[in-house]
Amino acid sequence: MPSDLRVLIVEDEMLLAMDIEALVEDCGHQVSAQVASLDEFEELPSELEPQLAFVDVHLAQGSSGLDVCRRTTARWPRCLVVFLTANVSKIPADYCGGHGVIAKPFSQSGMVTAIDFLADAISCPGVTKPRPAALTASPKFEQMLQVGQA
Amino acid sequence: MKQRDDWHLTDALNYEHGRGDPFAAAVRATRMPMVITDPAQDDNPIVFCNVAFQKLSGYDRSEIIGRNCRFLQGPQTDPEAVAKVRAAIEEGHDIDIDLLNYRKDGSTFWNALYLSPVRDNDGKIRFFFASQLDVTDRVEAQEIVDQQKKLVEQEVERRTADLRAALEAKTILLHEVDHRVKNNLTMIGSLLRLQVRAIDDPAIATKLDSMLERVDALAVVHRQLYQSSDIAKFDIGSFTENLTHDVVGSSGRTDIAVEVDAQPLFVDAAHASALGLIVNEILFNAIKHGFANGRSGTLSVLVDNGEERGVIKICDDGPGLPSLQRTKSIGTALITRLARQAGAEATWSDNQPGTCVTITFPAKD
Repeated sequence: MPSDLRVLIVEDEMLLAMDIEALVEDCGHQVSAQVASLDEFEELPSELEPQLAFVDVHLAQGSSGLDVCRRTTARWPRCLVVFLTANVSKIPADYCGGHGVIAKPFSQSGMVTAIDFLADAISCPGVTKPRPAALTASPKFEQMLQVGQA
Repeated sequence: MKQRDDWHLTDALNYEHGRGDPFAAAVRATRMPMVITDPAQDDNPIVFCNVAFQKLSGYDRSEIIGRNCRFLQGPQTDPEAVAKVRAAIEEGHDIDIDLLNYRKDGSTFWNALYLSPVRDNDGKIRFFFASQLDVTDRVEAQEIVDQQKKLVEQEVERRTADLRAALEAKTILLHEVDHRVKNNLTMIGSLLRLQVRAIDDPAIATKLDSMLERVDALAVVHRQLYQSSDIAKFDIGSFTENLTHDVVGSSGRTDIAVEVDAQPLFVDAAHASALGLIVNEILFNAIKHGFANGRSGTLSVLVDNGEERGVIKICDDGPGLPSLQRTKSIGTALITRLARQAGAEATWSDNQPGTCVTITFPAKD
């Protein structure tokens, strides 16, 4: 079981941020930072180097998770970005360079299965479990999974 | 030919004579306004007009004879129509056209003009014969019809725009409500999860976990509904398949083998929540009781879209029926009563070993 990923949570609803944080920790990983807006995201130190980021689309101060996604992949190219949103239709076809989406409302079992799957994809590329139903992979991520480069 | 002779007669009698000629008499007396012009004379003047034409135009014969027909035109007469008449005269063919003309008193009338050349034996044009008909009523009626048609079209367009706007507003509202439901369900799930973590008593925590699982099942139902193209139908087949994998996967029970054979099975969306809860209840019962205390085994799930009724069958190979005789669980009651609500039927049977729960319900075509 791969464990101890550094996870970034970008969510402006504190209740959900707390819940996601607990779910991530339950799965044996570590939340390195939680931010609620693009401005807060920009203040994160470069050495944070998250391996996985859960990003809501609507963020505080009217900022967008799509921008956070673009900035994340620019700052930490190896980080997997998964949107966590009730607005799945707002995500463009290229996922702004992101890797997938989990639709809200998420279930505990759906989240846990998805986190395990993502941790597997990061730690043991090439050896992946079946795709969890709760997680929709972006075309780019799907391709990475198939060639075992995630 | 008699007719040709008559024209010769009229000709010979210098247009205005021939009182004894029955054809000339008829032309004079008819209610159809008529004029004859002579293109051989300078500016093609009128050389004959009948009484009906005098009545129509309001001019006396003395005011008409010797003038070109254009005295009937006025400021609102369509120059294009006039040009067509002129071209017909120059080219020597007949023409049938509606013109806006003016009476002596300045009032207007729509003139259905028919003009044709009259040729002699050599084919030379000797006269132009023109009949007029006051078709003001017809033209005005047509104009009114056109105007009303335009008004109706404008009204239809306006109403369509209104309806479109109303539909758009309704769609936005529906999305907004949908969004709030999603957010609230997400928050309820998160609240419950956070609460479960703060509870030390394992018995209470287990009960709260069950609540959380039910809320999660409702969230999954809602998510699947809003992501589907048809909001009136719900595919309980793919729901069951996904939930089975999620629930077993997240339980961390790698010792439970899963066999799923699920066909798409569409049910009325009104029953989606009830059926979703039922499936959730059966799956968790199987994991908690069928595979209790770390017992390994196989969970098999079948969703069949039968000829008349849909079937969901979930089986474990655990210790069997006696484990279901739990007292303080609301699971079994939930399954039975929700099944009834959805017009379905829940039955328990012995899987030898283990338990099967079968939900039979009317499928939607």
